[in-house]
Amino acid sequence: MWSLSGITSEINHWLYESFSPFWAVTIEMALVCVLVITLFAVLGLILVLMERKVSAYMQIRLGPNRVGPKGMFQTVADTVKLLVKEGLTPAGADKVMFNLAPFIAMISAMLLMAPIAFARNFQIWDLNIGVLYLSAVSSLSVIAILMAGWSSNNKYSLLGAMRSGAQIVSYELSAGLSLLSIVVLTGSLSVSEIIQSQADGWWIFKGHLPVILSFIIFIIAVTAETNRAPFDMAEAESELTAGFHTEYSGMKFALFFLAEYVNVFIVCAIAATIFLGGWMPLHIGNWEGFNKIMDYVPSSMWFFGKTFFLIFVIMWFRWTFPRLRIDQLLNLEWKYLLPISMVNILLVTLIAIMKWHF
Amino acid sequence: MNITEILFWFLTALAILSALMVVFSRNPVHSVLWLILVFFAISGHYIMLNAQFLAIVNLIVYAGAIMVLFLFVIMLMNMNSDSEPQKNKWLKMAGTVAGGSLLLILVAALKNSEVQYQKVEGAQGTIGLIHNLGKTLFTDYVVPFEISSVLFLSAMVGAVVIGKKD
Amino acid sequence: MNVIILSAILGVIMMYTGVMSKNKSTARYVATAGILALIGANWLEFAGVNFFNIDTRGMLEFTSFGLVFNLIILVCTLVYFLLSGKDLEEVGANAADYFALIFFILTGIAIVSAFKTMLMLFIGIEIISIPLYILAGSDKKNLRSNEAALKYFLMGSFSTGLMLMGIALLYGATGTFYTDGMYLGLGNITVMKMAGLVLLMISLGFKVSAVPFHFWTPDVYDGSPTVFTSFMATIVKAAFFIAFLLLFENAFGRMHSEWQFAMALITAATLIIGNITAVFQQSVKRMLAYSSIAQAGFMLLAIFALNNIGKQGLILYTAAYSLPTIGIFAVLMRMKDYTYEGFNGFAKHQPLLAALLAVFLFSLAGIPLTGGFFAKYYMLVAAMKNGAMFWLVIIGVCCAAISVYYYFRIIQAMYFREGADPGIQVSEGFKTVLVLTAVLVIILGVHPDWLLHLLDN
Repeated sequence: MWSLSGITSEINHWLYESFSPFWAVTIEMALVCVLVITLFAVLGLILVLMERKVSAYMQIRLGPNRVGPKGMFQTVADTVKLLVKEGLTPAGADKVMFNLAPFIAMISAMLLMAPIAFARNFQIWDLNIGVLYLSAVSSLSVIAILMAGWSSNNKYSLLGAMRSGAQIVSYELSAGLSLLSIVVLTGSLSVSEIIQSQADGWWIFKGHLPVILSFIIFIIAVTAETNRAPFDMAEAESELTAGFHTEYSGMKFALFFLAEYVNVFIVCAIAATIFLGGWMPLHIGNWEGFNKIMDYVPSSMWFFGKTFFLIFVIMWFRWTFPRLRIDQLLNLEWKYLLPISMVNILLVTLIAIMKWHF
Repeated sequence: MNITEILFWFLTALAILSALMVVFSRNPVHSVLWLILVFFAISGHYIMLNAQFLAIVNLIVYAGAIMVLFLFVIMLMNMNSDSEPQKNKWLKMAGTVAGGSLLLILVAALKNSEVQYQKVEGAQGTIGLIHNLGKTLFTDYVVPFEISSVLFLSAMVGAVVIGKKD
Repeated sequence: MNVIILSAILGVIMMYTGVMSKNKSTARYVATAGILALIGANWLEFAGVNFFNIDTRGMLEFTSFGLVFNLIILVCTLVYFLLSGKDLEEVGANAADYFALIFFILTGIAIVSAFKTMLMLFIGIEIISIPLYILAGSDKKNLRSNEAALKYFLMGSFSTGLMLMGIALLYGATGTFYTDGMYLGLGNITVMKMAGLVLLMISLGFKVSAVPFHFWTPDVYDGSPTVFTSFMATIVKAAFFIAFLLLFENAFGRMHSEWQFAMALITAATLIIGNITAVFQQSVKRMLAYSSIAQAGFMLLAIFALNNIGKQGLILYTAAYSLPTIGIFAVLMRMKDYTYEGFNGFAKHQPLLAALLAVFLFSLAGIPLTGGFFAKYYMLVAAMKNGAMFWLVIIGVCCAAISVYYYFRIIQAMYFREGADPGIQVSEGFKTVLVLTAVLVIILGVHPDWLLHLLDN
């Protein structure tokens, strides 16, 4: 059975044998950079296509079907179009900030990749407070959005950015609290330890109702945090033309677009890691035989399978629920989700103290 | 000069430069963004001291929440260099002299300070790790920790009182 | 510890009272009952009964000085609730929340009267300050109230920043937060420690509105709803003084001679500016704001002198200044006209209230047979005992003489001028409480020892 960790340790060995440690580290960093950027591009292509196909499926139509077999190269064609398009900067805009904003959006999305374990022993940076790091960095994307909205010097953009800011800052709370429930159960903030703690079953099965509840809250909160329908107040087309990226075109628009999809991927990866065991195969307590069989499926398959399932669920939301009004959106968070998650975390703490979980 | 020192000087220069830019920017929105950069640089310093928890909390609280609210308010107020009130020339001068004197004293205080020869705990330090921090917070400092909840509660009550419609 | 925990709990209870009860006055009754409970709890702690056995690791130390101070504060708050509770309900729709904030402030006061570390000092000062910003701006429709809140908030946060900076410098220099553990003796003074001391002195000077950090005081006191001005100018101000005194005694006591001259300058400036500016005010409310600065000058003498008599004097001063001021404000709140002319002919229409007001004003001016006399006397004796800088005592005496002028202007207006009926309605209960307060002030003036004897426990 091949594994990604074998490849990485192989490369690591070779680098340290051939170069001095300083250069080895530098080359490794460069490799990681290239890999992350490639992953970004590939994810963007796949997710956009997936979005269009899923929406077509939901609406009983075909979706893209001209470029390539079954329209598989449609997004490639779109990308080429965006690349050659002229990037406009409005006259009244704050030039530096306007041009900087898309890159900050991208960078904050890229930074989120660091503690995610894509497969067994395949993780960029296993820092001891991975979960906190995730919630910290994911809150930074709002700065890019606010910058973009403000510097465009356009009312729609500013309104979109404001909505987005209010939304992200408030939904971050319940997202953080639901992540915390698993942290309480495992007693560790490190992503790899959280995955290890699910070796005898994923937390969503082990933690009874409170964990299921926090999983649901987390999914709702991250849907709002990534500004996706039914919470896409920031770019509500019918109200705000295109929200904070109204004035963007060409490659800069593409970057925002890409960052949004990559953010969706990352939050789903986080949910899969924290609640569904990440790369950990489906294990059930001490059913040795069953667990052995499950181990034959490569760990990266497990990870991407869970993540893409969650992405599918989030896309499903988009074509199922109508958009909320901004006041309903904030009411939902502050009057329902936040109190529920606060009570929930107490319940989880009780479970953790009494050792009622499996 | 090893890589730690290079990083240290880079972060320090970045922090000071951004802090100066916070003050010198004409546009308040730019000031806030520079301030965010200052927090990033300081978080970098925390990481170099192996205080990862502090670094991340610094980002969550300041860059992620407080600064976003700052940006929010300033963007809504739509302030720019035109709406900046013109201050009296003498007042500016007096401010410069007073601030300069304060700077002088603080620099003098730190220059001959007793901490000068104590070496900073570098990457080997463990005091900033969440494990030790949590332990200290809930044993030695548990009373201030709990009492600060009264502070937050009163701030919360106050915010509700101010925000509520009469 | 009793008071700290109970009053925090009472704050939460008050919040629930606001939600549970539609009747406005319920909150006032609950709050009054709560303050009585707090007085009981404080007394029990004084007698050695602790409800909670908490190991604070030496961060809080409940001395008889702090407990007696707390007792006075709580009694003053009781008087304040009884006299002005009804007016407090009229400020906005959130009476219960205001009471809750006041209980949180009492928590903060209990902390600053017992702190042994800078950490506790900071938390205590912040717990006192933040609710005050809200209370100053509670009259939301009134622009002047908004201005007061904003000004107080901006200035207050700035001074808090200075305080944090000072604490940080001291922590950097000594490596500890404990005021006793800093060992800031005469032999080892460095620039860093001195800078920390100066920053703390500035920020606390700001909080007690000492000149030259007093510029916020008149605007804030004048703009806030009068009922909260009354609270801010008396109880809270005294609390900041106890923090100031305890910090400078415990942490900087051994380097007294280093900062004494600076403190003397601040005290002299506060006395002179406060009194002279008060003379020129036309509004009684604003005059009381400046008079609070002037009185702060006298209280600063205790910190300047830093001896036992000064500490006793501060206790006495807290009672002899807070009680009359609360009484005057309680009457002032019912007046339509806040100028001196508004008091014209007051004695004819409200003879009892006028007589009581006269007693209170006598106490503020420091006339013998009222509490204010002994308070000022103790302060001046403390400064004299200290030995150094005798000129400060002379300034103090002169300023006490000046203060008589503006306090007596009210008495003159009340008794020797003709005027229309101010038409104020007061209940019998209000009068009774006011009479009792006046009796308390006179007892303090005749026989202050019973209060000071408590300190010897």
